[in-house]
Amino acid sequence: MKVTLAMKPMTKGFIPIEAESIVPKNFLSGTDLSVWRGNRELRLDEAFSVSVEGSADRAEDVEVVLSGDTCRLKRVGEYMDAGRITVLGGIGMHCGNFMSGGTIEVHGNADGWLGREMAGGTIVCRGDVADYCASGYRGGRKGMKGGTVEVFGRAGDFLAESLAGGTVVVHGDAGDMAGAEIHSGTLVVHGNCSRPAANMKGGSCYVYGTARGMIPTFRKVGTVQHEGRTLIQFTGDLANRGKGNLFVKDYEYLD
Amino acid sequence: MTELLVKNACVIDPLRGINGEVMDIAIRNGKIVEEVSDAAEVVDARGMLTMPGGIDSHTHICGTKVNFGRYMSPEDMRAGRTPRQGAMHATSGYSVPTTYGNSYRYSVMGYTTLLEGAMAPLEARHTHEEFSYTPLQDTMANTLFDGNWGILEAIRDGDTKRVAAIIAWTLSAVKGFGVKLTNPGGTEAWQWGKNVTCIRDPVPYFEVTPAEIIRSVVEANELLHLPHSVHLHCNNLGTPGNYTCTLGSFGLIPDLNKKRQTLYATHVQFHAYGGSGWKDFCSKSEPIANYVNMRPQIVIDMGQVMFGRTTTMTADGPMEFNLYRLHHDKWSNHDVELETGSGIIPVIYRRKNLVNSIMWAIGLELALLTKSPWQCLLTTDNPNGAPFVKYPEIIALLMSKRYRDAEFATVHPDTESRVPLPAIERELDWHEIAVMTRAGGARALGIQDLGKGHLAPGADADVAIYPLRIDEVDPAAEYQKVIDGFSQTEYTIKRGRVVARRGECLVHGSNATFWVRPKVPENYDMGKDPDFIEKFDRYYTVRMRNYPVQDEYLTRSRCIETEADL
Amino acid sequence: MIVKDAVCPFCGCLCDDIEVEVEGNRVVAVTNACELGMTKFMGEKRMKNPILRDGNRWKDITYDEAIRYAADMLLSAERPLLYGWSGTHGEAQCVGVHMAELIHGVIDNTSSVCHGPSILAIQEVGHPGCTLGVVKNRADLVIYWGSNPIDAHPRHLSRYTRYAEGFFLENAFRDRKVIVVDVRKTETANIADEFIQIKPGGDYAVLSALRAIVQGKVDTIPRTVAGVTRAQLVRVANLCKSAKFGAVYFGLGLTMTQGKYKNIRNAIELISELNRHTKFTISAMRGHYNVYGSNEVNTWMTGYPFGIDFSRGIAFYNPGETTAVDILARKECDAALIVGSDPAAHFPRRCLEHLADIPVVQLDPYPNATTAFCNVQIPVAVTGIDAEGTAYRMDGVPIRTRRVLSTDYLSDEEVLSRMYALMQEAS
Repeated sequence: MKVTLAMKPMTKGFIPIEAESIVPKNFLSGTDLSVWRGNRELRLDEAFSVSVEGSADRAEDVEVVLSGDTCRLKRVGEYMDAGRITVLGGIGMHCGNFMSGGTIEVHGNADGWLGREMAGGTIVCRGDVADYCASGYRGGRKGMKGGTVEVFGRAGDFLAESLAGGTVVVHGDAGDMAGAEIHSGTLVVHGNCSRPAANMKGGSCYVYGTARGMIPTFRKVGTVQHEGRTLIQFTGDLANRGKGNLFVKDYEYLD
Repeated sequence: MTELLVKNACVIDPLRGINGEVMDIAIRNGKIVEEVSDAAEVVDARGMLTMPGGIDSHTHICGTKVNFGRYMSPEDMRAGRTPRQGAMHATSGYSVPTTYGNSYRYSVMGYTTLLEGAMAPLEARHTHEEFSYTPLQDTMANTLFDGNWGILEAIRDGDTKRVAAIIAWTLSAVKGFGVKLTNPGGTEAWQWGKNVTCIRDPVPYFEVTPAEIIRSVVEANELLHLPHSVHLHCNNLGTPGNYTCTLGSFGLIPDLNKKRQTLYATHVQFHAYGGSGWKDFCSKSEPIANYVNMRPQIVIDMGQVMFGRTTTMTADGPMEFNLYRLHHDKWSNHDVELETGSGIIPVIYRRKNLVNSIMWAIGLELALLTKSPWQCLLTTDNPNGAPFVKYPEIIALLMSKRYRDAEFATVHPDTESRVPLPAIERELDWHEIAVMTRAGGARALGIQDLGKGHLAPGADADVAIYPLRIDEVDPAAEYQKVIDGFSQTEYTIKRGRVVARRGECLVHGSNATFWVRPKVPENYDMGKDPDFIEKFDRYYTVRMRNYPVQDEYLTRSRCIETEADL
Repeated sequence: MIVKDAVCPFCGCLCDDIEVEVEGNRVVAVTNACELGMTKFMGEKRMKNPILRDGNRWKDITYDEAIRYAADMLLSAERPLLYGWSGTHGEAQCVGVHMAELIHGVIDNTSSVCHGPSILAIQEVGHPGCTLGVVKNRADLVIYWGSNPIDAHPRHLSRYTRYAEGFFLENAFRDRKVIVVDVRKTETANIADEFIQIKPGGDYAVLSALRAIVQGKVDTIPRTVAGVTRAQLVRVANLCKSAKFGAVYFGLGLTMTQGKYKNIRNAIELISELNRHTKFTISAMRGHYNVYGSNEVNTWMTGYPFGIDFSRGIAFYNPGETTAVDILARKECDAALIVGSDPAAHFPRRCLEHLADIPVVQLDPYPNATTAFCNVQIPVAVTGIDAEGTAYRMDGVPIRTRRVLSTDYLSDEEVLSRMYALMQEAS
């Protein structure tokens, strides 16, 4: 089954729409769903032109395609456990939060908190992601716990904060504090980033470019070969009695 | 004039010696009366279990540290959110709910009176502000004196009357209810990062021991004729082998009061530990309960631990730091100048953890081994042992050996060799539960004469009607029915109005706050004592005139005046 | 008439020993206050009555009309923002929360542009703190990090630290050491015993290094960290460990610089580490006199200290998304009520552009920068001058402000309660 949701032009300025109902399994029982614009409840078809092709008995066989200006559409794919969501443009905040299975593919850019507290499944973003991609919630100990997030563009600050499992790969540069407070899991940044793995407790963080503002409390172990690259290995963060591994191609201290 | 008639209620009212009698309860203008007119609104209880409104004699619901528990825990706040609906405001939080969250959830469980377990005098205004947003219960605050400089100095000087005078001035100023000692002396030592290990350790600089503090404050409490006794959180909470310290503290207490206990020892589960370390940690509930059984002057509450996540918060700052070092999670501490301190950390009690399993057993053992339910009240030291919403499960555990065995089968397998619980056959009955959750609390707090904890004419019309037929339910076997029944009243009546019905709160309500003003002779009025004033001016950072809590902060003020023997 | 022990409604020190001399219902002299407090007590020209924007000019309107306008504006909004709150008393803040809950709006206070990052850090690792009097009576080491009390909290030094008497200090001025950490030599640095100058953006690295050094891991630390020599770091770590009681007070120099809440988190973790060796506390130098009160009120009523979104009925908290600056910059609200703050004086231009596009009502005694963005402004009594109510000091101590003058102005609480009553009728 393929559900196509074409965003109608916004009538009321820039107020975001929260659409946690847009999850493949919900469409198994029809399209009588609602979304919220600010404090007003809208029927799904008030916000989208809805079309459905084919049918399905299980969420795995449902694909939801979102088109139009979806940059302010929040919470799409929240608690998604199976199926597929394809976003042809950009997507608003909190896409794929708490996701445990299935696939989300975003062709444009993703706003903040993409894949927050994700437990499983796959998210692919062809564009850039804003801050807090694959992170946790305020005050919580654990961020993303499982699954995969792959970003082909750049990432904002606090990428994979408190990562507790799963894999996060960013092909471009990442911002400040990438992989802060990592407990376990793997973060790979193909480009440069600033202050990676600050306060890390465990897990692994790879920076194939330059780590700027390198945290001074990592102990250099030596060099290692990793997928055809020569990387410098550190362990830390000593300030946090951490035993994580940080691999960088290059680094600069703020000395 | 508003009248209400509760018909066909199956009443358990221990303070009046009523045990399961089907009768009507007449209510006029918020009070129980002999009879009402035919115009009275009628609530048909249809033979359901009906008791005085619940009284929690030790809970943390309002004030600086409770609010800090919320402030630092957005992950807990999001766990229990409800929107505004009808008369109910929005709520958030699981282990430390917002004030409305506390009030609604307690009300749905039939609780109508709450004692906040610890209020720092300097921050009392905060507690009272939160009380007024706890609309469906009457409230009162234990006031902290464990590290009060004036009192430590007076004790050093052997001047018990001055101790009493400082307590009198402070209680009146901050509109406090009872005298609380939390780790006496330890909170002052903690302001240097130190602690006292037991009752014979001197407090740095002041050179008095916890034993001297306890004895002297107990004596002062009785000189002031306060409704409640001293409310003690013993030294050395939470450490293996601390039961000797607890017994030592109990041993200091003479029997000074005919109407009630002389010492209320709180959350004793946390103080009933044997062993020399975590490796041989074990239950010492038996010696503690045996001691209490021989001493009518002591009342304890359980401080039951239940499995799951919660937030610990106490004025016992050094204990919280030790817990932090064990858990290495977040840690907050807040020392209060010249008075006391506090600490907060989140914890998770796990069945698979041996120490946690033993703690769980100890609380139940204390309740089952203490012969008189009047001497062991039901609490979790909310939220320290568990959030109060777990009370129905605790009641069911106490009423059913079968339920205990079923639960015991799921805890750490080594627990059996460390605790007496599996061998205890006792199952509490409905009457005993009524004592532990209302009547006993009223007597221990000294508020039964103020119309709390019973349904005699003249009493406050606080009534809880539970959807339980005690003639039909066998609590030993049907424990799930007991849990369900105590989780949600059919009706909760507060001050003569139905405030909650089957899980929904129906009115906004307004709380009353009980506080104490002891009358002392002129020469013991600390407000006029030059030495007291001078020290206040020099060392507090708030002016003495700005310290007292103004009347504006009490929605309904219920001042209890006492005559001091000074 | 002299009013004694008045409470200063300026900064988070909430000094409560002010003497205000009043003649003919006008403040003529103020004793004990700093210059900032004195200026506040002496007052400026107050707005006389509510005003409504009418094309290019202002029209006088009645309180009833203004309150009705505000209620209608908020009721018809799909995502109203209720912002400010740190310059008013707690009783008014409580009404604000009820209002946000009723109309399903967003309520945020000024911490989102000052110590919001400190709160986020506390939510990650907690807060070892104490009341100001504990520091005054005990601390033999005080560290001001990214804060400059001489400018922003002028009496902090005399009431609680450098120049304060302390019970456990024989000669407090001599026995109490003061360290200042900053990116430039501030006035406060001039009165310090030790000054640590950090390169901009380097606080986090220095804090990490100190944590490792306190644990004895000196060797890994590079020779200089963000412009600070390892030797100085070792010396400072030793000073901290050998203090009997240390206290850190940090300001916007730490919260609002690169890394923001991670800086504060690192500082708190340093303090937790030091508590294994001696006694140490850390606290934020809160700005507005009642910004902490607003955090407290929001917390007991909604569970969260700031940035609370009731759009969906339940409280949702996510700073960076539900905070005023972010909402305005993304143009995500369609009406704003401003109480007890002046966002136009502090917010980025992008935010103000949106503020100019939506209806705005402000409660404030004075014309201010935000007035230019308002459709309606309602003058109110000033808490601590002609209104009383609760304020929370930077350390959480609540104090009831005194009324030193009586005027006909309604208090924030009264205006908001009338607004709320209209809204309740409508919904």
